[in-house]
Amino acid sequence: MSNEVKTKEKVDMDPKYIIKLTVTLFVTCVVVAGLLGLVNSVTAGRIEQINIENTNKALTAVFEGASAPEFPEMEIADDLKAAAASAGATLQNVYEAKDGGETIGHALKIVASGSQGNIEMIVGVDGEGAVTGVSIVKNSETAGIGSKVMENENGVLDQFIGKSAADSPLTVGKNVDAISGATVSSRGVTTGVNAALAVAGVMG
Amino acid sequence: MNLKKQFKEGLLTQNPVLVQVLGMCSTMAITTSFFNGLGMGVAVLVILTLSNVIISAIRKIVPDKIRIAMFIVVIAGFVTCVDLLIQAFLPDLAKSLGVFIPLIVVNCIILGRAESFSYKNGVAASFFDGIFQGIGYTVVLLAMCIIRELLGAGTFGGGLLGPDLKGIQILPAQFPAKMLTLPVGGFLVLACLIAAMQWALSKSKK
Repeated sequence: MSNEVKTKEKVDMDPKYIIKLTVTLFVTCVVVAGLLGLVNSVTAGRIEQINIENTNKALTAVFEGASAPEFPEMEIADDLKAAAASAGATLQNVYEAKDGGETIGHALKIVASGSQGNIEMIVGVDGEGAVTGVSIVKNSETAGIGSKVMENENGVLDQFIGKSAADSPLTVGKNVDAISGATVSSRGVTTGVNAALAVAGVMG
Repeated sequence: MNLKKQFKEGLLTQNPVLVQVLGMCSTMAITTSFFNGLGMGVAVLVILTLSNVIISAIRKIVPDKIRIAMFIVVIAGFVTCVDLLIQAFLPDLAKSLGVFIPLIVVNCIILGRAESFSYKNGVAASFFDGIFQGIGYTVVLLAMCIIRELLGAGTFGGGLLGPDLKGIQILPAQFPAKMLTLPVGGFLVLACLIAAMQWALSKSKK
């Protein structure tokens, strides 16, 4: 680094120079975009497959009793979305849970806010409107604190099993036990389950 | 080209993290387990080397006025490629590093080396600069991971054996100071490392 103060360059307004700048940048962008397209064509299929596998794993986990589970995705009606929103969470997907062709309930993908970001979870609800299980798909909770809730430490996620609209609204400290130090994360999951119960209520 | 000097610079006298103090965000955010540190370090090493080579190869045809824009396009291209590849082939790593892989685009180490080294030097020298600076970065990340994981969680090698497995428990579970795995611990450990590095450097100069 020199200590000399550089004299300010005169802005070169020569059209040829400007065209050169534009063309260079444009060509670089085209080349890079081509490269990205190439890599994407290799990886897109695999990434999608991994996402489907992860979702399937989470879906199966909330209907553990099912021997031949299938989860066809359903269209979401606006009133379901509204029900989830009124409970403070977002409804992303609804899956019909089928065991050997027979409907045994619904799996709801719900996003609720935790302490560090959104918590994406799948909540299973059976035909009677009782929770069959909660599994976390994606979260960014604090490692070692909020992550305890996400990893189901001391069965904190299992306590929702069997809860139904009769217990609603579920409240941390009242009818839901939180992990100490991770109240906000526990509340996030509880909000999600409340939203699931609200949606299940609308579905009937 | 002086390989020995470049190696010493990357690892010690011009270490990207401890001396140039670049790339702090990722350094503090992801150094909570060994696997994360290794993954992040290698990802940066690969991207840094590739972008160094390309930038030094095109340095003569890049007009001075738009060089930063060109650097960013090249870097962002490589980062996105690596991000996609990690998501496709190392999903566990992608899950634990999350947004920090795409954020390598704005990691100052890469832009810093592009501007200060590969824009002025030949392809081969830039290639080795990328490797050595990348190693320097990785080594510091691993040091921070080991310290924070051992003192913060009492384990070693978290995530290495399996995606959801904790590392081998070395300190009994009641001793570790959880604080060290939180962001505040990142600042403390990094500060201690930088202090130690500066002390060692000034001592070796005498």
